[in-house]
Amino acid sequence: MSLAKAESRGFRFTRVRSIAWREFKHTVFTKGFIIGALAFPFLMFGAIGLMPLLLSDKPVPVTGTLVVADADGTIAAAMKAAFEEYRHPRAPKEPAATPTRGPLEEFDPDAPDPSLFSTEVDVEVRRVTLDSDHDSTRADVRDGVLLGFIEIPAALLERSPSEDLDISVLVPTSSPAKTTALLSRTAREATVVARVERHGEDLAAARALVHLPGTSTARMSETGVAAPENTQMRFLIPGGFMFLMWIAAFTSANQLLTTTIEEKSSKVIEVLLSAVSPLELLVGKIVGQSLVSMVMLSTYGAAGLSGLAFLAMLDLVPLSTILLFLVWFALGYLMVAAVMTAVGSAVSDLREAQSLVQPAMIVLMVPLILWLPISENPTGWLATAMSFVPACGPFVMVLRTTGAVEPIPAWQIPVTLLVNTAATIGLVWMAARIFRVGVLMQGKPPTPRELLRWARTR
Amino acid sequence: MSSHAINGRSTSAVSLRGVGKRFGAVDAVRRLDLEVGRGQLVGLLGPNGAGKSTAIRMVMSLIRPDQGELQVLGGDALDMKDRIGYLPEERGVYRRMRVGEFLIYMGRLKGLPQLGLAKRVEQWLERIELPGVFRSRCQELSKGMQQKVQFISAVLHEPDLIVLDEPFSGLDPVNARVLIDAVRELHAQGRTIFLSTHQMAQAEQLCQRVVLINRGEKILDAATESVLAQYSPRAIEIVPLGSVDEARLTAATLAGIEAVRPGSPARSLVLSLQDDTEPQAMMATILQSIGCRKIEMAQVTLDDVFVRLVTEHGGHSRIPLGGAA
Repeated sequence: MSLAKAESRGFRFTRVRSIAWREFKHTVFTKGFIIGALAFPFLMFGAIGLMPLLLSDKPVPVTGTLVVADADGTIAAAMKAAFEEYRHPRAPKEPAATPTRGPLEEFDPDAPDPSLFSTEVDVEVRRVTLDSDHDSTRADVRDGVLLGFIEIPAALLERSPSEDLDISVLVPTSSPAKTTALLSRTAREATVVARVERHGEDLAAARALVHLPGTSTARMSETGVAAPENTQMRFLIPGGFMFLMWIAAFTSANQLLTTTIEEKSSKVIEVLLSAVSPLELLVGKIVGQSLVSMVMLSTYGAAGLSGLAFLAMLDLVPLSTILLFLVWFALGYLMVAAVMTAVGSAVSDLREAQSLVQPAMIVLMVPLILWLPISENPTGWLATAMSFVPACGPFVMVLRTTGAVEPIPAWQIPVTLLVNTAATIGLVWMAARIFRVGVLMQGKPPTPRELLRWARTR
Repeated sequence: MSSHAINGRSTSAVSLRGVGKRFGAVDAVRRLDLEVGRGQLVGLLGPNGAGKSTAIRMVMSLIRPDQGELQVLGGDALDMKDRIGYLPEERGVYRRMRVGEFLIYMGRLKGLPQLGLAKRVEQWLERIELPGVFRSRCQELSKGMQQKVQFISAVLHEPDLIVLDEPFSGLDPVNARVLIDAVRELHAQGRTIFLSTHQMAQAEQLCQRVVLINRGEKILDAATESVLAQYSPRAIEIVPLGSVDEARLTAATLAGIEAVRPGSPARSLVLSLQDDTEPQAMMATILQSIGCRKIEMAQVTLDDVFVRLVTEHGGHSRIPLGGAA
């Protein structure tokens, strides 16, 4: 509808502007918003920043007697040597020409860092034979007398041991996970050391042979600048964008819900409708709250971009991504706002609103639940299908387009834009129809069927 | 009464023809015909649940009639919002908003320019005897004060038509008097005023014309004076100097007196006249026979007419169930 045509039909943009400004002012310039929506998240981010300090790993004391049952005592001896090394680590004199880390570390990125235990490792290794009676040893483990009991099958020392063979590690119920991990890891490494020595091979040479080289990846930008690859950030950024969009959209939409209910319950709605049309009121409220969401987007977005700039990773968020994000945000916000305003107009209090909002919330929660699978596989069928589902489509598309982990097919962006824009127009139209009838209704809340009937009412 | 047009301009500020509205099984308004001429002050009277608020909401285009034609200022109320002032029955203000800010906001919505609006609001607050509340929050005001604030929001933009739904309900006599004076003043300025009330005394004081509806139907539509004249009881009210009982006995013997009954206050008597009795002559006869502290023609009140008509038309209305508020 053109401006002139809208004005001629009684739709006054000056009224919409007044409503929007009141809505914005009475939401943003309040203690609740400043503390809840602006200050609190920054405090939260600050706390997250401090988390690594607060939760930093402290050396875990590992002391006690460990009983090791092996075929010939070589593994027990290797474990004893390893624990001694943990206790008195050798300072590296110069960078080793060949890798000195154990082969398991190469293949097991989750292996605990031995340095964590270096200060308080005092493990006495007592070797027993495999065929001796282990019942009393097990009882001592159960009672916490021993640190643990490790049984290493003799076949593990063969040149090509069966892959089905495992080392048995028995620890007390109260054993800390890190202690258990250290015992397991030391037993595995010692087995490899003993095996290599038993077959007359050179351990350092073997390690050098199986050493995995590192990689240095860079992405060549359109301007020809090669930017270092940061896979982790490429997963995190879409999540950040999506959560930012979700929080901004829902904070504002929730305000729409509560202010509409408040206007109804305080009876001010009839006064307003004597001055403006329901459509003007609806548009004014949605525009006003969209400004509120823009304040949130700008604040959080600027903080996020500043963080990326500080980490020299600003190239991960090009301007085109931000612009596209704003388009998706507009669609997502309008969809959520339409639903919330329609519900707010139809009910008399927040309790009644819950039952009507719940189904919509389930749909809108989908992007949050599917954040990781969609980010990991943005071209998969799940991500593609969800992009076309009204209400959650814009959120999913933000996940798919802001990370560029895997470029999505080019046709999908215009097509999903088209589909989601149509869905947005439909939802806003429906909300306007429901709002027009609902704001003057009192009494019991309508059923979803009644809401549809209101939407069809001329 | 029909709507007239002079040079294409309707002379009716409000025109309803055969308007009806039904909520579920209840007819809230039935085939209502009503004309409010420009510059008139018309009262819409009726008991609770008679359909007054429904009729007014239809006039304001807040709800659509199921049948009939409706015109406000010659068109649709939706297109005339800036020329209409409305005080709804159910009052509402933004509780946390400041009074001045609320009224300025309403003025802006009614199309008033920002320039000079604050001054206009302050003038109205003074006029309505609410000085010094400009910066108070609405929730800090009493209910009556909030009602006066709402009244200002209805008239601030100097509308051609002012529609007031129960404007005096809940107000103490002093504040009711302030609003009555303001309404009179607005009417004197040539504005059309259409108000609903079930407080007959105020309607009698204010309205040029009254329309009485009951059970959604119009049962009376006439000038206030003619209603009072039409329902005049043809009786003389006296307050005797001596014993009331003796005065009653004496009065009953007078020729031309049909009946004698106690009046109000308690020491007064109402003497009903026979149809052919000339009131002035009878007053002279009474004065010769009974010593009177006070003697006057008994007057009917709108309240009496209201009770009589509503009772004749089946008593109080049913309250519409559900539907729009």
